[in-house]
Amino acid sequence: MNVSMRNTVRRHPEGITISLVILISLAFAVITQGGWVSIGNLQSISQVTAVLAIMAFGEAIVIATGEIDISVGSVSGIGALTFLGLAPMVGSGLALLAAIVCGILIGALNGVFVALLGLPSLLVTLGTLFLFQGIGYAATSGFSFAATDSVRQEFIYNAVGGGNIAGVNVAAIWALIVLVVLQLIVFETPVGNRILAVGGDAASSFSRGVSVTKIKFGVYVVSGVLAAFAGVLDAAFIGYADGSFGATMELSAIAAAVLGGCSLTGGRISLIGTLFGAFMLRGIQSFLILLAVQPQWYILVVGLIVVLASLADRTLTRFALKK
Amino acid sequence: MAKTDGAGDSRKPLISIRNVSLSYGNFRALTDVSVDFYQGELVGLVGDNGAGKTTLIRIISGINPPTSGEVYFDGERITKFHPKKAMDLGLECIQQTIGICDNLSVGRNYFLGREPVKRVFGLPFLDKKKIRETSAKVVHEFGLRDTVDVDDEIALLSGGEKQTFKIARAVTFRNRVIIMDEPTNHLSVRERAHVNELAVQLKQQGLLVIYITHDIFQIHRIADRIVIMENGRKVTDVPRDAMSAEALEGIIRDGGRASAKGPKVA
Repeated sequence: MNVSMRNTVRRHPEGITISLVILISLAFAVITQGGWVSIGNLQSISQVTAVLAIMAFGEAIVIATGEIDISVGSVSGIGALTFLGLAPMVGSGLALLAAIVCGILIGALNGVFVALLGLPSLLVTLGTLFLFQGIGYAATSGFSFAATDSVRQEFIYNAVGGGNIAGVNVAAIWALIVLVVLQLIVFETPVGNRILAVGGDAASSFSRGVSVTKIKFGVYVVSGVLAAFAGVLDAAFIGYADGSFGATMELSAIAAAVLGGCSLTGGRISLIGTLFGAFMLRGIQSFLILLAVQPQWYILVVGLIVVLASLADRTLTRFALKK
Repeated sequence: MAKTDGAGDSRKPLISIRNVSLSYGNFRALTDVSVDFYQGELVGLVGDNGAGKTTLIRIISGINPPTSGEVYFDGERITKFHPKKAMDLGLECIQQTIGICDNLSVGRNYFLGREPVKRVFGLPFLDKKKIRETSAKVVHEFGLRDTVDVDDEIALLSGGEKQTFKIARAVTFRNRVIIMDEPTNHLSVRERAHVNELAVQLKQQGLLVIYITHDIFQIHRIADRIVIMENGRKVTDVPRDAMSAEALEGIIRDGGRASAKGPKVA
């Protein structure tokens, strides 16, 4: 087979997803007779895509080290509840800070168990997923937190999800900022090189002096912060949050990362691909809504996509690395 | 702790292993090993599979701390075991099974753990130009194909090429100590000869070279001293001239049970 083609696939694992997104978008536009590409619908897709993408970026960084973070759904819930619960009392600035601190702490907790104690990340973060979902339910116990009118007037509230710029929710701008910053860190800095190295071969990285523990701990903190921030962005957009906030988001975040070309075995990720992965999932969701399909079917579609994407990932990796 | 000079040698050892043991759970990989290594010396570390050679090297290169015993580097006791620390002290190790991340490019592997940076607005970014140019120069000097692009993932190299890469990296970053764990694995006959020449050259440049191998005949030709391990213990430690390769092979074959011929059985 063609060597240059293999090089292309290896260096740009997101290529397939981006091509698929373009094809699907065209199909959706045609099937919905333009409804899917209407300004209003695209604005709505951009907000949900941005929130999901920010979580998925954090997930991708964890996946880069060969681990996984299933807790992001409930971390975003805790972020949202902390933000909306505190904002009316202390203002949205301090509430934002508190939400971010929650993300750091939960990320650090995951990091301690996975990086320091060496427990399997799948189990640890499954545990913290339920743990913080439980705390979210307990804290709200049937109530929901809502943004008051005065909070909605605050600049920070609008800057972290409450407001729009040129008709587009600010979440989209945040997603692009996070994308650029992480892209630079992962692919252009020594820390990024070590993150990828740890995912590629932890023992070899360690033998070259890389602190595997610090790297893994670090990526969980980043993932926690981004999940909490995504929760804040979504909460400020919606204006209220209850105990179920963020539920099943972890699935979509993992799916977006895998769709985007992040290899679950670690060491190979694409953040741009992850953005397109998030867009694809949210685009499909929106398409199903426009077709008036029951929302439950979305989960089925996500599950199907993840399984197919994993298969494609393996096939492509094998193809790309064949000598 | 006052340390006496070992075995009548008046020089100060560069690396001194004192009564080191290492257990993984119930398994004793090393039992009470004491051995000194000197600057400018090529030491052959020989023994059968599972003798503890690699385990000893993992301690020296900071991967595993010993369960008990002491390790001195240049007279200073090592208390914190980490590969980074060993690299900072000037020790490069060519590990047998690890040392390369398949998912990274040749250049990124070359500089892994000591990436060159250029500051942009005070932030540390990888100096990709330096990574590319330096690593390309080194690997091609060491005989990798011209078609090897250092931006390619290292997984695309063959086993022999990867081994050559590891040797090139260790030799170029050389400082005071080079440890080679079965360095001639995957290599052709000609490449083997080259690696052995290289080991001698490095020694002549004043480095300590610890060379691990199964092949007593091969190492006997080039080493200054032979250390034989068996079952996690040091069983023989002799200058090359003190014993023939055949006699040393006899010791290994007998499972370290010292034959009467062994002059300096520990």
